[in-house]
Parts: sequence; C-alpha cells; structure tokens
Amino acid sequence: METKEVLVVGGGPEGVRAALEKAQAGVRVTLVERFPALGAARIPRDRIVAPDACFVNPELEEARVHPNIRILAYSEIQKVRRENGKIQTRILKRSLRVDNDKCTDCKACIQVCPVNMLDDFDEGLGFRTAVDYFNPQTAEFNIFKEDMPVCQQACPVHLDIRGYVGRIADGRHLESLALIRERLPIPGSIGRICPHPCESACNRQYLDAPISICFLKRFVADVEIAREITPAYKTASQKFPEKIAIIGAGPAGLTCAHDLARLGYENITIYESLPVPGGYLWVGIPEYRLPKKLLQREVDLICEMGIEIRYNTRIGEDISFEELQKSNDAVFIGAGCHRGLKLRIPGEDDFEGVVDCVTFLREQALGTRKSGTGKLIVIGGGNAAIDSARVGWRMGFDEVYLVYRRTRREMPANSWEVDAAEHEGVVLQYLAAPVEILGKNGAVSGVKCIQMKLGKPDASGRRRPIPVKGSEYVIDAQTVVPAISQTANLEFLGKSTEFRLTRWNTFEVDPDTGATNIEGVFAGGDVVSGPDIAIRAVAGGKRGAAGIHTYLRSR
Amino acid sequence: MCTGRLDPAIVAKAFKKGLDGLLVVGCYFGDCHYISGNYQAQAKIEMTRRLFEHIGVNPQRLAFKQCSSGEAAVFVEIVNTFDATIRELGPLGGDGDAVRNPALSEKLATAEAVLAGEKMRWVIGKKTPFTTSGNMYGEIFTEHEFNRAIDMIIVEETEVQEILGQLRQKALSVAELAGSLAIPPARIFRYVTALKRKGFVALEGISGRSPKYKLISQEVS
Repeated sequence: METKEVLVVGGGPEGVRAALEKAQAGVRVTLVERFPALGAARIPRDRIVAPDACFVNPELEEARVHPNIRILAYSEIQKVRRENGKIQTRILKRSLRVDNDKCTDCKACIQVCPVNMLDDFDEGLGFRTAVDYFNPQTAEFNIFKEDMPVCQQACPVHLDIRGYVGRIADGRHLESLALIRERLPIPGSIGRICPHPCESACNRQYLDAPISICFLKRFVADVEIAREITPAYKTASQKFPEKIAIIGAGPAGLTCAHDLARLGYENITIYESLPVPGGYLWVGIPEYRLPKKLLQREVDLICEMGIEIRYNTRIGEDISFEELQKSNDAVFIGAGCHRGLKLRIPGEDDFEGVVDCVTFLREQALGTRKSGTGKLIVIGGGNAAIDSARVGWRMGFDEVYLVYRRTRREMPANSWEVDAAEHEGVVLQYLAAPVEILGKNGAVSGVKCIQMKLGKPDASGRRRPIPVKGSEYVIDAQTVVPAISQTANLEFLGKSTEFRLTRWNTFEVDPDTGATNIEGVFAGGDVVSGPDIAIRAVAGGKRGAAGIHTYLRSR
Repeated sequence: MCTGRLDPAIVAKAFKKGLDGLLVVGCYFGDCHYISGNYQAQAKIEMTRRLFEHIGVNPQRLAFKQCSSGEAAVFVEIVNTFDATIRELGPLGGDGDAVRNPALSEKLATAEAVLAGEKMRWVIGKKTPFTTSGNMYGEIFTEHEFNRAIDMIIVEETEVQEILGQLRQKALSVAELAGSLAIPPARIFRYVTALKRKGFVALEGISGRSPKYKLISQEVS
C-alpha cells in the first residue's frame, strides 16, 4: 500500500495541532509556513514581551522534533494540481540565509547589521535590521531579502533587469548586454518592439516615470554594433547527439534553438516556410520599428552556434509532420499565428481588394506589394492594425482610415504607436464597426459602417460596443485590411490530429515543460498562447527548450 | 605600507586634527602585490569621500591616485595638481567647505566614530567581492547599487553616531535630542527604539511624560 502524505498549510497553532494529530497517527506530514518560523502571526506579537517571559506553545517544540513532520518554513504554495486522485503542489522555499544550526543566538549580527528597514510587525513604526530573529524563544534568525524585483517578476522571461540596468549605470555596457543574453538571445529586436510589461510594473513610476528598461536594452545592443564587436554565443563543452527539429524561425523557435544549442545539442534544424528568418518579427513588424538588417544580424549570431535554418520548407507540403517526428528525437512547434481572422460580414469574400493584415504586412515585408493607390481602410485597434495603417501610409495610399469599434481608451495598441499614426496623418475613426463590404465590378468600392455606443464592461473589463440603429454610413475605399486578430494555422499537422487543442485552435501544453500530449512533441509561442507579445513567445521557447532537455536526458 | 591597509578612521582623525588635504597614491590595478589591496584602497577612499561630502567637507580634499614606483614624472604631476587644488580650497573649515569651523570639527568627530565602527568597515570590505564574484548565493551587485546602499548607510550611521554622541554626555529624551540635532523627532524615535532593541541604549527614567534614554557602555571583547 502506498504511504499517505498530508500537507498542512499554515504553521499557526491550528496548523501545528493538525500536523501533530496526523503525525501521531503515523502519517507523514509536511507543514508549510509563510513566515520564517512556526507560530505564524502570533509570534511577532511575542517580540514586544520581554524575552524570558514570552510564551511559546509547547506544541511548537513537539512539532519541530517529531520524526513524521517535515517543516518547510518561509515557504509559499505557488501551484496546486490534482491528477488521478493525487495532489501535486509546487512550493517556493525561500532561503533563511542564516545557518541556524551554527547560530549561537549572540545577537551580535543585529548590532552591526548595516541595513535598516521598516519593521512589519509594528506596522513600520520602528526599524528592524535585515538580519533579525523571528521568535525570541527559539532564536530562528533570518536575513530579509526582497524577492525578485517587480520588473523581473513582470517580465515573461524574468530578465535580470536590476542587474543589467545597474551595469549600464556603472558604464559596463558590454557586461550588461552579456547579462541580458543569458536569458534573451535577441536583445536588439526585443529592445525595439517590446510593449514592456516591466515598465508598467516599475516602482519608479510612483515618483516620476518608470525606468526606460526596454530602450536601455536597445541601447546596449546598439553599443555593441557601434563598436563593431562580434560576440560569440558559447555552447556547453559536453555535447549531445540527439536530433531536434524546430518548426518556425520566429522568436519562440529561435530562442528554443539557442537554448538547446547552448546546452550542448549539436543537431538542431529549424524549418521555416518563409524565405526569411524571424517569423512575425520579419513579416509582421514594419521596417521602421525593427530594421531587418539588425534582425538578420541577431539571427546570424544564433545560427553560428551550429543551428541550421531550412528556409522555404513548409511542413505538410515539402516534408510531412510524421516524417519529421520519425527522423527526430524531439520536435518543437513554434509556428505562430499567421492567419488573420475574418470579419464575417457580407461581401468579404466577393471582391478583390480585401487583404487580411497578416498577408498585407507579409507581402509588404517580402517586397511583393510595393505600392498602393486610392483609399485604404484598416479595421481593428491592435498593434497589427496600427502597423498596417502606418505601413499603408508609407506605401503611398492617398488616404488611410483606421476604423475601431470602441474608443481610444479601450484600444489594445500601444498608445505611442497610436500617437505616431495620428501624427503621420492616419484618420482614426472610433466607435465605428463595418457591417458590409461594398463592391463594383469585382473590386472593393467602399465599406458600410455603423456607429456604436459604449455599454457595460464585458469580461475583458472594456466597455462593450453596442450598435446605434439606423446610423449606417459608407466610407469609399479601394483596399480594406481587416486586422481584428490572428489565429494559428495548424494545417501542417496533416492527418495527425491526435493533438489536444484548445477551443481557440491552439495547442494544449503542460504549463511547466511545454510538452503536448504527443510524446516528444513540444510547443511554445503564439501557437500555444494565441496572438501575444514577442517576449512571451521567447518565454515559450525557453520553456520548450528546458522541457526538451529534461525529456531527452531522462529517456 | 599597502594603501589597502589605510584605515578611514585614521583619515577622519587626521582631518579632525586640522589636516587640509590627503593624497593616497597606490599601485595600478593588477600590479598589487597583495592582489586586491589597491581595489580595497580605492573603495575605502571613495566611501570616505562620500561621507565627507555628507558631513560638509569638500571631497576634493581627499584623493586616490595611481602610479608606479618608476614613474617619477607622473608622481610629480599628481602631487602638483593636488597641491594646487588644496591651495585653492584654503584651510579646512573655510570658504572651500560647506560647513565652517567650529561646527566642522564636531562633524569630523562623528565621522571618525562612524568610520571606526564595525558597520562601515564590514560593508566596505565586502565591496570588491560583492561587485565581482558575488555573495554566498552568487548574487553579483552593481557598483551603482552598492554606492546607493553606502549612501543610505552613511546618512543613517552619521545620525546614529550623533545621537550616541549626545547620549554619551547625559541621558536625554527624544524631544531633547531632536532639539539639539537637526533630525526630525519621528526619525530619532525610530533610531532610539532600534538602538534600545540592539542593546546600545536603555531607559533611564521618565521626566514629566517623556522617557529618557541613557547609553549602555559596550564591553570590548
């Protein structure tokens, strides 16, 4: 019979009693406590009592020495998962940073500790030192060290922002860049285009403005180019022979390849359907936001680690997915979301001149669509819509309209991009939704729109637009670009549809390893998360690489 | 003597006795016979300069320069430049400094107490390892961060030493301390409660409605 294990959360008197009860019945107990020692919130109050007189529950001592109880102090539960009647938990255990076995409780460290901080037990009336005891009776010392900084927590790849910004402040630019590259292989690209969740979290914004974390990254990447330094990405000395195929050379695929090559894998091949690398970074982000030359340089640096990119190779057409699976030890899918969603309004498929934003931007980036004339209407309010409008303006359309069904406040696009579009001359029409695409002789002649008003907030917290009856009007146009969202194109899988997919047509993966339900196949990036920001795709690539490494090494 | 062995407390003491300027000349980085002596010296002098600036001494009065024993011309150049700087600044506590005499000598006495304490010595001794190889947990700190921490510690330690200096003469209440020092009472209260908890001060009695604190003499072990 399997032994039972019990997890008790909370080391207060109740938790200790429950743990002792179970332990005395012969069950193995793990006791998790958020504070550095047992006793929970009751103990800090003891600190105001004279040390000799303070009362400590005798049960605490009993629990501490009981052979069946394992105490995890200073720990927090992060995730609980239930599977086959078992419960799996992920616990973050912080270090006390004091070896309490060696501590003799002389309190000399408190006398000389240089770091004063506001004490939490008296709500900040007095100071505590960074090193302090938690309970005067049991003398369990700990050094308070803040967790990950908020910016690092906000970053999907948890870049060491504190470290690299500090190094820039020291003037050690190249060291700063090396630190960024520890976790992010494409700093120059991300430093240009990232919508920086880190800056939204930055504590400095409460004083004046957040630290320009994103552009500082771009700055150090540019310093390297300006000084004409070619860095070398190091790989591990121990090599592994396994063959790994990666589908898609976008941010997720490139990061996955980089991480695996760094771990020492030698046979990595990236299959890319386009003739260019970078995925959406190349064919979705316009040149003025991310120069192709710079992206090519970063991709070349990654390729020099011994990674092969096979361009113009579409899985499902040039090589089947089954074949890929058979000839490789592991497959990573980072195909992205390269199919624009349809508007689902009449006339959409009937006339020439309706191009979805993905195709529009791709053709422009690859040079097959060089110029345009007449009026262009872009429908949507995301970054892809703004990009399409600004690209359209540069291509020479006479007038560019952007139609969005809510107001500027609800727009998901970056505010500075909207400002720039407006400044360039893009006409922004808010509270308008297309209802029909009109055409003449097989070509688009205009879009019939309806006015909207804002109703109650919906699930996303934004106010839901409601059409105003009888307010239809027509905007003349020769080209219409719907940019309302993208979805993954999973046709390349062919007949192997045993993959577990979500209802948004994305892969369902293990949240820790990125593994799909098929053995040896991993996925990451937009193909898992739906259309999202590049840095999150990088995080997906990293997770996939770590998952593949664990999978291959434990086989 | 290796410049790394120069104790900042001695520097403060010398200035208290009327020194107008101090030039510390050490070896070049990488030339140190003791591997990291000159790094230590640079960190110590840099920290002392920050403290001097805080208490009102012009930091230009203290400098750390590097030259090798074979470079006579460089040495002459360094000394001449420094000599000119000090001549321009004039005597200590005059026009060249933010705080004038005799207030400055009191401040320098506080500075000496700060620099002689364990806190500053240990912090500055850790600078080189913390910014290069990292601490026990492999966390490497940037110089920027370390200097910011040092600035904070300098402010706090000076204020604490000023409080202790006052209490050394007689027992005082928080309000009395705030009256004689230019520190807000709320801040003094925090320092005093922290000092009480650490065992540096104790309650002597209550006069009127305010508690008075006295200094506990520390045993030297």
